[in-house]
Amino acid sequence: MASYTEEAYVEYEDGLQVSGDTMGHTGDPTLDLEFERHRQVNVPDAVQNYLQYFQKALNDQNMYELESYYENGWNQLTERYYATEAWPEAESISPFVGNDALFLILYKELHYRHIYARIQNGPSQEQRFKSYYNYCDLFNYILNADGPVMLDLPNQWLWDIIDEFIYQFQAFTQYRCKLSKKSENEIEILRSNPKIWNIHSVLNVLHSLVDKSKINEQLEAYNNGMDQESIVRVAGIFGHHSLYKMLGYFSLIGLLRLHSLLGDYHQALSSLENINITKRSTVYSQVPECQITTYYYVGFAYMMMRKYQLAIDTFSSILTYIQRTKSTTLQRSSQYKMDMINKQTDQMFNLLALCANLYPVRIDESLAQSMREKVGADKWQRMQKGDKSAFEESFSFGCPKFLSPVAPNFDAGPLNSHKEPMIHQCKVFLEEVEQQAQLPTIRSFLKLYSTMPVEKLAVFLDMDVDEFTAQLLCIKHKMKNARSGKDQEGQLEVDFYIDGDMVHIADTKIERGYADYFIKQIHKFEELNLHIKQLK
Amino acid sequence: MADVATAIKVMLKGIDRYNPENLSVLEPFVKSQVKENFCDLSANLAVLKLYQFNPSYFQEEIVCDILLKALEALPSPDFSLCECLVDQYHHENPQIGRLIFLNHLLQTCDFRLFWRELKATPELIEGVTGFEDAIRKYICQTVSNSYQHIKAETLQALLGDLEDKDLDAWIEKNGWTRTDDLIFVTNQEEIIKSRNIVDKVNFDKVQSVMISGLHS
Repeated sequence: MASYTEEAYVEYEDGLQVSGDTMGHTGDPTLDLEFERHRQVNVPDAVQNYLQYFQKALNDQNMYELESYYENGWNQLTERYYATEAWPEAESISPFVGNDALFLILYKELHYRHIYARIQNGPSQEQRFKSYYNYCDLFNYILNADGPVMLDLPNQWLWDIIDEFIYQFQAFTQYRCKLSKKSENEIEILRSNPKIWNIHSVLNVLHSLVDKSKINEQLEAYNNGMDQESIVRVAGIFGHHSLYKMLGYFSLIGLLRLHSLLGDYHQALSSLENINITKRSTVYSQVPECQITTYYYVGFAYMMMRKYQLAIDTFSSILTYIQRTKSTTLQRSSQYKMDMINKQTDQMFNLLALCANLYPVRIDESLAQSMREKVGADKWQRMQKGDKSAFEESFSFGCPKFLSPVAPNFDAGPLNSHKEPMIHQCKVFLEEVEQQAQLPTIRSFLKLYSTMPVEKLAVFLDMDVDEFTAQLLCIKHKMKNARSGKDQEGQLEVDFYIDGDMVHIADTKIERGYADYFIKQIHKFEELNLHIKQLK
Repeated sequence: MADVATAIKVMLKGIDRYNPENLSVLEPFVKSQVKENFCDLSANLAVLKLYQFNPSYFQEEIVCDILLKALEALPSPDFSLCECLVDQYHHENPQIGRLIFLNHLLQTCDFRLFWRELKATPELIEGVTGFEDAIRKYICQTVSNSYQHIKAETLQALLGDLEDKDLDAWIEKNGWTRTDDLIFVTNQEEIIKSRNIVDKVNFDKVQSVMISGLHS
């Protein structure tokens, strides 16, 4: 077997040496020392105390406190001391925590994550590299142990680690493709370190976590209705530990996301073959961000596979959930996270609008209203008329940040190629819009009649008979393909068939129902109730 | 062939699917799909993914074969799935561009033009066993969805100006019946009619409310 599969967590040792002397704060050792000392003095008492308590909670494995330090403490101190600058380097805080290696790895993960999220101009090349090595250290620690490591972390934190790992990889691929403002030195370092943030390494980490945790086997056993004891047996020594199990689960979602970012929607969905997302009872509901991410990528993949009914169902389901829980379960202590959720919500409304135009079926009334608000009346109308640029705008706003798995041609000059993967996916999507370009007009004509000679309709539309017949077949083909099953027949507003020379048109009137409305209100009330209980 | 297909299925599980050495097995497998008229979408997508990760391995001929296979799979959306994995830059390639154009004609059901264009470049499908029949099968499906009765001459044109006896074979294959110049496809009246939909509450919807009722 090729050696590339092993590189993920072996390579970093020589990687460090390669990059060690080419980077650094200033390159001047005395200045650097000065710099470090300066930082060290500046760690405020409150932060020192916080880190010591944090470390203690980690070593005691006190989940309740860990959660609080992780969620609240970190964000509060960030607002107070580190709103615009980075948290101290790990070296500067190391003495306060007795050089606790594991704590320092976890601290560094938070440290770099904060830089990516909050620091203007983003991380430097050195920080991107170091953050990668830190992930290698972390996953090495977890995966290379002989037995399961005696560590547990809150689910939210584990999700954030996987989520951030993929985010940083994606950010790196974008960074790597923006050559126009890079110095020669920076390009040279990129060129000579092809293994850092390499796609194979990232895939390898996710696959290793999936394999180690036996999460697929566990989910299969669970889906087959096996009892708890048998599932534990299936899980093996690693998989029944919460840390491994959850990392395995989140890695499946990570694979869904990563394959989507590469434009491989088939593989993306097959990562979830053992997860039934319509069953709300499964584990992931404990971390709302995970749930939102899952639905976003599943819905997106369905859209790209032209399964619009499934895409609409997926987006509707999660958007309803978000609307309902926005002020309760989804409240986050960090504004950054709230912004992320809001952004993803807006994106999904745009994607929903795309699907609803390519497959015009009934959507829940209140959802449809919010969708039109988010997309904007003007753009919505343009979409309804089949204006390609409106589809393009919503697509580029709503789509994930696609990436190229390979490095750009560094010799091609100072070009920026980071947008190419997005342009490519957008182009493939717009082909569908082009194929459907005439359909809105034809539909609006069909709505006016119940029977009509094909020839006459063709004249109205200024087409010849053959051309018009092709378009009629196209409507039938597209609508049939977009449906997910037989049960949805009749959901379309207009349907028709051709009998010899005549078109027979059927329209469907839908009476407004109240059941959805009441169910939604009941759920909303429950969430509120739950929230009130937690406040006590 | 079944053995190879099973072996490939195993090979593509887990991390080893990204090993470029697999191409030595996968590429001949694409070729045999073309020759022996069967299709394995997962394996073909794995090939395209390996080209995406290792651009220097890219083989135009194999990609064209995969895209032809994807056209045969219509009405499934295989073609756009493949397109998403073939770098934009290759879309400029004349052969690939041609296949994208043919896909457009088939997707917009412009079958008459499709057959004309196909005749203009017969070398494109040389050696592809059963290509035309696979497309005819898709066209028949579309006709089934749309027509109650169709004129024989219309059907003949949609299927690429078939000879009379071939046309009869397709009519029989689909279980349609011919009376003179009119072919009865299926009784659409029964399925497609105006209706009012009353809001129904199914069990799934109520389930979640009932569960939480039990807990509180």
